[in-house]
Amino acid sequence: MSPTPSIDFTKLTLCDALDLATIIEEEAKERYEEFAHQMELHHNPDAAAFFLFMLKIEALHEGRIAGRRRELFGDAPRNVRRELIFDVEAPEYHEVRSTMTHREALETALRAEKKAYAFFDAAMKHVADAEVRSLFSELREDEIEHAGLVEKELAKLTPDSKIKAEDVEDEPIAH
Amino acid sequence: MTTTPPILPTYQAKDFKSDLKPIWCPGCGDFGVVQGIYRALASVGRAPHDIAFISGIGCSSRIPGYTTAYGFNSVHGRALPIAQGIKLANPDLLVLVAGGDGDGFSIGGGHVPHAIRRTLDITYIVMDNQIYGLTKGQLSPTSKRGLKTVTSEYGSLEAPVNPLLYVLAYGANFVAQGTPADMAGLADVIEQAIRYPGFSFVNVQSPCVTFGMEGQQVKAHRATMKTLASINHDPANRLAAMDLAQQYGQSLHTGVFYKNPDPPPTLDGQVRERQRQLAEKAIPRERILDMFVQK
Repeated sequence: MSPTPSIDFTKLTLCDALDLATIIEEEAKERYEEFAHQMELHHNPDAAAFFLFMLKIEALHEGRIAGRRRELFGDAPRNVRRELIFDVEAPEYHEVRSTMTHREALETALRAEKKAYAFFDAAMKHVADAEVRSLFSELREDEIEHAGLVEKELAKLTPDSKIKAEDVEDEPIAH
Repeated sequence: MTTTPPILPTYQAKDFKSDLKPIWCPGCGDFGVVQGIYRALASVGRAPHDIAFISGIGCSSRIPGYTTAYGFNSVHGRALPIAQGIKLANPDLLVLVAGGDGDGFSIGGGHVPHAIRRTLDITYIVMDNQIYGLTKGQLSPTSKRGLKTVTSEYGSLEAPVNPLLYVLAYGANFVAQGTPADMAGLADVIEQAIRYPGFSFVNVQSPCVTFGMEGQQVKAHRATMKTLASINHDPANRLAAMDLAQQYGQSLHTGVFYKNPDPPPTLDGQVRERQRQLAEKAIPRERILDMFVQK
């Protein structure tokens, strides 16, 4: 089954594929921006700083792909719409908490990078165009690189306290 | 993908996103709901200035402010009467109503049947989290029996309202349910509800991450949800819809429960028609005073 049923990967041209990759990065960038804002609002500066770091990575990646698209296809109209995708590389909204630790924020991003890898991996099985396959293979490798970056950051952290935020919250949770 | 220039829709999801940033708790289900609304509105293709988005009070009632539509974050439980007034005053507007389960089925519960029987062309989206989240976790009308909260220390003794069955029983012609665990499905049911000519109701199981139950979170939804299409449910069959709706609180079914294939005339449409008929016999505006002045 196609990873995103609304996209017919068998008919994807290189231009479409570059546009698709751009909107995937754009979505991830915007999500990290939203998460950074949420964490700032809820007084969690460590997680906010990390999400801003991820925002910059995604913005760089988006800029690189969009630049390549311009170089190859100029202002050719875009066939791929943002509305066709949901949370490909963007971490999902439900994955964050106001009390999340720096480590949990990194783990959220790591899951998102792995999810993007799985997307391109699954999509490649449906792609007919050789150039598109090659691009998707490259993007898949990029996700490994991004995941590596996050893992490197994770390795620098000391383990989280065994006491979780839920253990000390004074608000009752329904049960 | 084709090589011919595509016919792109006039609006994109981002055109409906306002500059205000949501202040919900991180992880809240409502973040997904508002994204689903943006996408549904982009597909429907009405301009933001042609849309009125009305809400009551509660976390989910903040939604109008996060869109570029005209909005009114109104009074607790009174979103539906206000929305009906707006639709009657300006039937050309696309009118959306949003609120929570407490707003819609407790304080505002009495308005729901009347909105349904009047059949105005409005869409009511309820973000059902089975708890009063904004006021810090009290029992709501859809809280399950036995739930322990700040107002039910030893477990709730009350049976919950079943929103799906409630609206079906009052004769709603379009009833659907979604969850942010399936964003594409959620955007789709909201779009179908908006496009339906008449009162349409969408119950969204939108988890409260701070006060909600563990079994009501997105991960749990994803593990248990079943689309109505996957069980070959016929949305034109009202009795089958009612049968499935009875499983509210036990099974999570998503998709369209009921869609009357023969929508009755809307009240706003009938009012327009009545006004047109009466206008033929009406006294011209410049002669209105003649009704009150003795000659």
